[in-house]
Amino acid sequence: MEIKEIKEGSPRQLLEQRRSSLSSGRGYAALLWGAALLFVVVLATIIEGIVSQSTQAFGHFGIGFLWSTAWNEATNSFGAGQFIVGTVTVTLIAMIIAVPVGLATAAFLTEMCPRRIATPLGIAIDLIAAVPSIVVGLWGLYVMQPIFLRDVEPFMKDIPVVSLLFKGNAEGPSYILAGFVLSIMIVPTMVALSRTALAGVGVLDREAAFALGATPWQVVRKVVVPGANSGILAASTLALGRAVGETIAITLLIGNTLILQHPFSLLNDGATLGSVIVLNFGESQPGTLLRSTLLALAVVLLVITLIVNIGGRFIVRKSTQFRLP
Amino acid sequence: MSTDVLEAPAPSGKDATYAARRQLIQGSARATLKRRRAIALAIRIIFGICMFLTLIPLAFLIGYVTKRGIGALSVAFFTHTPTPEGIPGGGISNAIVGSLIINGLALVIAMPIGLLVALFLIERRGPIANAIRFGADVLSGLPSILIGLFAYSVIVVHTHYSAYSASVALAVLMLPIMIRGNEEAMRTVPNELWEAGLALGARQSRVVRSVVVRGSIPGLVTANLLALARGVGETAPLLFTTIFTQQFSTSLNQPINAIPFVIYYDGTSAFKDLQQDAWGAAFVLMVGVLILSIIGRTFAARLTRKSR
Repeated sequence: MEIKEIKEGSPRQLLEQRRSSLSSGRGYAALLWGAALLFVVVLATIIEGIVSQSTQAFGHFGIGFLWSTAWNEATNSFGAGQFIVGTVTVTLIAMIIAVPVGLATAAFLTEMCPRRIATPLGIAIDLIAAVPSIVVGLWGLYVMQPIFLRDVEPFMKDIPVVSLLFKGNAEGPSYILAGFVLSIMIVPTMVALSRTALAGVGVLDREAAFALGATPWQVVRKVVVPGANSGILAASTLALGRAVGETIAITLLIGNTLILQHPFSLLNDGATLGSVIVLNFGESQPGTLLRSTLLALAVVLLVITLIVNIGGRFIVRKSTQFRLP
Repeated sequence: MSTDVLEAPAPSGKDATYAARRQLIQGSARATLKRRRAIALAIRIIFGICMFLTLIPLAFLIGYVTKRGIGALSVAFFTHTPTPEGIPGGGISNAIVGSLIINGLALVIAMPIGLLVALFLIERRGPIANAIRFGADVLSGLPSILIGLFAYSVIVVHTHYSAYSASVALAVLMLPIMIRGNEEAMRTVPNELWEAGLALGARQSRVVRSVVVRGSIPGLVTANLLALARGVGETAPLLFTTIFTQQFSTSLNQPINAIPFVIYYDGTSAFKDLQQDAWGAAFVLMVGVLILSIIGRTFAARLTRKSR
């Protein structure tokens, strides 16, 4: 703080100065309250804006909207079922790949490799997490889709049991392709968050285990992972939240068939809650049932992400060692 | 790891049972050591492979975008507006300028609010501050498509597609990142400095301005740069607020093009030269975002070094 010379002046002048500065202090407090209020208003408007436009569709279809798989613009019959199936399928594929791989990477970086290697690799993974999803989507479309068509999908069909999920013909866009590319996008998040969780376990706990003769793997399994349990769970939940909400890359990769394909197969193309909104919103007119239906799908997405995120934050709050970056 | 038997005193009476137990434990530890070490090694290898599984697709991604993208770059790419497919010499100058305008305005909108809300969180304790913090966390987890819908229903539906509505959407997207980042940064200013400022007779607002904000500038820069990096790459909010156009526009009240649009629309077109533009745009966007993140992180690193 710079030091100002004390100004000469009559007591009256000094008092005036003091008064004006006091009122500026009040102005400052008002400014803070104003900003906080504005933020709350924005939050409320987001929810209000989406929910209010969806009431028409919910009123028209009732709760059955959630499991109906209809989609016919001519007869104005719409359902959310096929998009919930699409979102859940793609997210599950991504999580099944990303959680174990991400967790193992985090464990390797924090526990099993020298810090000299771990630090730059950690930074690299953090940076890669910043690559925009549209870029990943474009890469998935041009690079991964041909690879999946040519190699991965026929290979999956040859594995017993797994092949049950891969019936039918591969045509390019598919749940499995979208889920796989999505897993690449959320692995960095998973690694970064679970690294924070694992690093939060006390050094003394580890050293105690090592002193008892435990191998590094035993330390991870018996000390670090149990100690970071809730942090790992929170990391997975937040990665899940990202996966559910990811839209653009999936829109490029999933094929956007608005009707549920039978029989169910991971090679089918489909649509997710996000992709159907993105692709149909521009064509829908305000006030129509189609527009309201798209907003109702947004409400479904909103509710899912709210549950996942609030659940994740709740877990974080319960664990004391873990602070989110 | 050593499992040598310690020099034990001669066992007698009660000690004998302890010695026996110790021997038992050490014996079984020694007997299983080979197996345990083998398992530890195997796990280490498996986890190492997992690390490569994480890195390889990402490295391929960056390598491929760079390879295809650099091939698309030319002076015209940065200075010309798009030409129809088949006509060479086009560029994406309108998208680059558009992205700069949209994100610049979003930054101007979000930065002061983000700073003030963070200050609110720093100065006020209690349920209101906690609720706002929680709200910021939840907002940062909301899908960007929902934020696009918000901007649409608040602005676009009453007016028309425009650059400033896209900026509002991106500003809302950036806000929670800024709020939490700013708060974290300002929390690193030691309490003693606050107290010293207050003890000198300065008002709270004065202390905040001269001590807290000034002392945490690197952290504030980091938070804002990371928020910007997030905003620049977003596509979904733009889809509801502005339209893909070939026109060059700098008007805030008109639809404006943006780099993610070029990737999204040209990337899915059937024409090779438009696809080429999409790769160039993807490369420019990726490099831009990485540079922002790297600068941001360097600032953060400087902050931690200074506070140590």
